[in-house]
Amino acid sequence: MITTASLSAQRPATTNRTTFHRATTVSTVIRADEAIIWALLTNAADYPRWNSTVTSINGNIALDEKIVLRSTLDAKRSFKLKVKEFEPAKKLVWGDGKGKRTYTLKNNDDGTVTFTMHERIGGLMFPMYAKHIPSFDASFDAFAADLKKEAELIQNKAH
Amino acid sequence: MSPTVDDLTREFERCKAALKSYIVRITGNRQEAEDIAQETWIKAQRNLAGFKGESSLKTWLFEIAQNIARDHLRSLKRWPEEVGDICKDAAMKDPDFFREAMTIRQTSPQGHFEIREHIAFCFTCVSRSLPLEQQLALMLKEVYEFSVKEIAGIMHNTEAMVKYWLHTGRSRMIEVFDKRCALINKEGVCHQCTELNGIFNPKQNAQEEAVKIQMVRDAAKKDKEHLFDLRMKVIADLDPFTSPAAKLQLHHLEFDRKVMDRHLDTA
Repeated sequence: MITTASLSAQRPATTNRTTFHRATTVSTVIRADEAIIWALLTNAADYPRWNSTVTSINGNIALDEKIVLRSTLDAKRSFKLKVKEFEPAKKLVWGDGKGKRTYTLKNNDDGTVTFTMHERIGGLMFPMYAKHIPSFDASFDAFAADLKKEAELIQNKAH
Repeated sequence: MSPTVDDLTREFERCKAALKSYIVRITGNRQEAEDIAQETWIKAQRNLAGFKGESSLKTWLFEIAQNIARDHLRSLKRWPEEVGDICKDAAMKDPDFFREAMTIRQTSPQGHFEIREHIAFCFTCVSRSLPLEQQLALMLKEVYEFSVKEIAGIMHNTEAMVKYWLHTGRSRMIEVFDKRCALINKEGVCHQCTELNGIFNPKQNAQEEAVKIQMVRDAAKKDKEHLFDLRMKVIADLDPFTSPAAKLQLHHLEFDRKVMDRHLDTA
């Protein structure tokens, strides 16, 4: 059962590490229509307006499309990514050869949606560059909190 | 009880002006607005038996009109938010633009230049930089005062998506006008309305004219949401076909549409 406490609280992001991989996950419950959350996640140009972790996304977030993402995590780099899965209002996956980010939405049938963001990076060469990759935890927490705030604002806005 | 043809005729006559003004604001094309309004009337008459009364007749007429316009609008590229700069450059290089505009100014009873009319014209152009659904939803809500539920019916989508389009479209327009419009922001880069006022009404003081508009008087308060509401009120209060500047502004709109067609073809 969803409680008021679980709605307001967002569990902090967690990271699991192995020799060849690192995976970070964050999850939060959002009291908004999944269509609103999905629209926020798939409107590339609009990200910088509501998401404090994304500087820009160029391209079209749709299946097999290529996008270029710039993030506050590493302002000097741009990440060239491909949209690998696109299941409207359910699942979005983008990534490159080194990693894959998965967004999932689960409708809880009580006016809330559980949003989960998971990123797995790694490969055989991972141990060589792992120490140069900053922690994603704070950025993931901010992403989820921004999404929740914006989606609930839109849902509850009086028109 | 199902509406009769007489009911439909009365409602069409009542909302025809709003319908045409909506269409010209989303298409930028006067002739298209006339044609779509006419086609809407024909389709509504033909399909009246199928009208189930799930919405008002007015909402249904807007739905028909938008269905006719939408396929064409979807095939068009969106305009950049700098449309005013691009079209100003084109106008400065085109001697016909000012010659035609001055002729309208001098000969037409609808050839006055007013800053508030230019505010409405400017919004029509800049709002075409929004994704289409955001532009349509914003116009229907802020200018034509449809409810979220009615807009969802007109646009064949959910209320949640209408809320999303309204929020994102409104946020984007507030940001663009705050950055560009010198009427509400001293740092704003666009002075086009006051510059044109100087050309068309050389005996007027543009600043004195501007402060007659509440949005300009309230600009110092810096409440961007409030200023946007006032901008929408200026637009809602004007009919682009019957206002004192209608002919002049429709001439500007036609010019901008042609310039943007060429610009986007070569971009």
